Amino acid sequence: MSFKVIKAGIFTTLQDRGRFSFTHLGVTNSGVMDEYATLAAHKLLNNNLNDNILEITFSNVELQSNENTTICITGAICELYINDKLKKTWQTHTIHKDDNIKVGKILEGQRVYLAVKNGFNIPKEFGSNSTTIKESLGGISGTQIKNDDILPYIKNDEIITNRWKEKYIPSYTNELTLRVLLSYQEDSFDSEEKEKFFNSTYTITPDFNRMACKLKGQIIKSSLEGIISEAISFGSIQIPKDGQPIILLKERQTIGGYPKIGSVLSIDCFKLAQMKIGSIIRFEEVNIVNAQEKLKDFYSIFN
Amino acid sequence: MNIKIASVDSVIIYFSDVISKKTSQKVKSAYKLLKALENESLIEIVPSYTSIVITYDIFMYNYEKIQVFLQSVLKDLKIENEGELEVINIDVYYGEEVGIDLQRVANKANISIEEVIQIHSSKTYDVFAIGFLPGFAYMAEVDERIVTSRLESPRKKIPKGSVAIADTQTAIYPQNSPGGWNILGKTTFELFDKTLESLSPITIESKIKFNPISKEVFLKQGGVLEF
Repeated sequence: MSFKVIKAGIFTTLQDRGRFSFTHLGVTNSGVMDEYATLAAHKLLNNNLNDNILEITFSNVELQSNENTTICITGAICELYINDKLKKTWQTHTIHKDDNIKVGKILEGQRVYLAVKNGFNIPKEFGSNSTTIKESLGGISGTQIKNDDILPYIKNDEIITNRWKEKYIPSYTNELTLRVLLSYQEDSFDSEEKEKFFNSTYTITPDFNRMACKLKGQIIKSSLEGIISEAISFGSIQIPKDGQPIILLKERQTIGGYPKIGSVLSIDCFKLAQMKIGSIIRFEEVNIVNAQEKLKDFYSIFN
Repeated sequence: MNIKIASVDSVIIYFSDVISKKTSQKVKSAYKLLKALENESLIEIVPSYTSIVITYDIFMYNYEKIQVFLQSVLKDLKIENEGELEVINIDVYYGEEVGIDLQRVANKANISIEEVIQIHSSKTYDVFAIGFLPGFAYMAEVDERIVTSRLESPRKKIPKGSVAIADTQTAIYPQNSPGGWNILGKTTFELFDKTLESLSPITIESKIKFNPISKEVFLKQGGVLEF
């Protein structure tokens, strides 16, 4: 019982919520870039929220089923075809033997998520299915999905018909304000530098991948040249010598030696995951009490 | 000890603002203590030279509560006696085919290559941090006679197993990687091994000593002479 990968697309990987408790050995967390889309797909399928999912970064993915199941596609708005019929995303679809599923053009956003009922039946590596290519960990053999790969699942005849409420489906635009907690070496940025940081607009450069998002705009200066290397949290904003912020994402290096002005809220990094190169980014300060409330609100939708 | 926000669900504990063996021992003792709690709400505990970052479950602790918790756990922190720790011996072939910076390090130090090898391999090193690449352990402290700073511009490819120094630190490249450290030799020792339950034989608590071996032994161990 499986999907055969007819076309893998340019960059499709198997992910879940990440690989934890090996960071002290230099192993990155990895995991889905957009947890909102991922958790929504799992919720619609009544899956375990830690189940795995395909993260599709460029279009043109085609799968062929050989047994009944249910799938759900969320994330970036795309052309979804089942047996050449155009279908809606952000809802479940019943799949029969020999059905053909095609993720065509991505219309809005960057990353499409494809989940199957109960997840793909693929053994985890070190507690996770998340693929980190540079570590050869996770996925099917530590790498991205390839043509002719087999994605096994357990047959499921239960009919599931769920749809994400229209008003909760994100609209992906080309401007985003990221909420930032001042943290780490914030004291090394004087008030003038902080003011510049919070009152400028930045552009997403082509250096945007699963590791990090490099921005271009107003130069920010730290009074520190470098720091003693320390562990880097998800969403941390490094300011290297050139003064251009880098937001560190799921496959970030585990430790690093550049000063950091603060951290973007994790739930805002999920929105960032759907932005295109050239999009406009602004930063807005948030305090820890509010930030933690927002995080709780976010996860309460799914629990 | 100073606890600060790292991100919405993580904090960083600074034990000092300078690198020293004493600070490192504090970090290691605190790391050990925190791990031993087996508290599932502490999702990640990542030590480095002078600090530890802790990611926590915000449904269990808010920022205020995690600070109180950590302060109470760590308030009577004792530096553990590490006397009985086993030393991991790592065989290294210090030959110029693979140790392409041996001559330069020797010239700079105004000593012979043999002396560089003798100096590098006679010390037992402590691990101060692991990161950059999986299994990349930053070890110190290199004898001041052979201290050599990083290359001006990093090389595109350093082969897996290369043993290197940069300033007062030494390390082994666990996989092929770009890098700017000075290469002294090569080992077949695996630092990142998916067949091990622990993934790596080295942790922040390890003590490491390098053992010079001949070309013949290196080749017999499966070593490759190519740089």
